[in-house]
Amino acid sequence: MYRERVRKFKDGKLVKVRIVIEGGIIKDARITGDFFAHPEEGIEIIEKELIGKDLCNARQAVESASGGITLIGVRAEDLIAMVQECLDSDA
Amino acid sequence: MNRLRVIEFEFGDAPFNMALDEAIMRAVGAGKSPPTLRLYGWDPPAVSIGYFQEIREEVDLEFCHEKGIQVVRRLSGGGAVLHTQKELTYSFSVEASDPSVPQDIQGSYLKICAPIISALREVGVPASFRPVNDIEVRGRKISGSAQTRRFGAILQHGTILLGMDYSLLPALKVRAEKLTEKGAKDIAGRITTVAEIIGREVGHEEFSKIIVKKFEDHFNAVAECSVLSEDECIAPMLEERYRSVDWTFRR
Repeated sequence: MYRERVRKFKDGKLVKVRIVIEGGIIKDARITGDFFAHPEEGIEIIEKELIGKDLCNARQAVESASGGITLIGVRAEDLIAMVQECLDSDA
Repeated sequence: MNRLRVIEFEFGDAPFNMALDEAIMRAVGAGKSPPTLRLYGWDPPAVSIGYFQEIREEVDLEFCHEKGIQVVRRLSGGGAVLHTQKELTYSFSVEASDPSVPQDIQGSYLKICAPIISALREVGVPASFRPVNDIEVRGRKISGSAQTRRFGAILQHGTILLGMDYSLLPALKVRAEKLTEKGAKDIAGRITTVAEIIGREVGHEEFSKIIVKKFEDHFNAVAECSVLSEDECIAPMLEERYRSVDWTFRR
C-alpha cells in the first residue's frame, strides 16, 4: 500500500512525498514538487536511502542523505516530517 | 567577466531549446566556451516542467495534445511553465567558479536577474525582484527563472513575458492549494506582460538587444555574437533524451 503527504510552504512551493510501505518497511519513496535541490541527484539519493527503512531509522536516512544538498522551497526537516507522517498513518 | 558570448535570438521547439541550454552549459562548465547568454523563443508553444515535478499533476496532457503544445521536462527544478510564442526566454551559463556570480543561490538569482530587471525598466516596466526567483510588477509575475548547477557550471534560464496567449493557459493544471496562497483567482490574475504594462508590443529581437546591453553593464563585459562551438553540436544527441517518454514521464 502507499501513503502520501502533500504540503504547501509559505513561499508557495508544493511538495509531495509518496511512500510504498509493506509491514512497516519502506519499499519505495518518491519526492516530487516545484522545489529546487542542488545537486538535483540529492533527491534521488534520499529516495534510495529510504528504501528498507522503518519509522525508527527513516529520520537518520534522510538526515545523512541530505547532508550535502542545498534545498530551496523545502527543508530536510519538512521531508523527514512528511515521511514520518506517512509511516505513522500506516501504523 | 570580460567576455560575454551571445547566442542571438531564435525560435526553437521545446526539446531543442532544453538540449541546447544543456549543451552550452556543459561546454561552459568544461572551460571550452566562455560565459554565454542565449536568447530564444518557443515554437510551437510548450509547457516545461521542473526536474522534480509529477507530469500528470501539473499538465493537462489532453489539452496540450489538442492544441499542439509540446511538453518537456527541464534539467532545472522549480514549477511548470507555459511558454507561448509571445515569450522571450534567456539562458545564462557561467563556470561554477566564476567570481562574477555569487556562490549562494539566492544571491546568484538576484545577480543574474538584475540585468533582466534593468531591461524591463528601460522599456517602462517598473519591475522588481521577488525572492527566490521571480520578477514582478505590482505584485504580478512577469518573469520567472530556474537554476541548475552541474557539469562544473551554473545555468540559469528564465521567462520574460513580452506578451501572453491566455487561451493556452488551461495547459497548466492549477491546484487549489496554490491559489489561496497568492490570493488571486487563477494564473491569469497572477501574471502580467510587457505589452499590458506599457501598452505596446516589444519584439523578441528588440528586447533581446536591450538584455544583452544590460548584461554587459551588470557583468562589466563585452558581448560578442557567436555561433555554436563544435562541443555544443552534441545538442541533437541530448535532444533525443528531451524528446523521450522516459525522461518526460520519469516522475
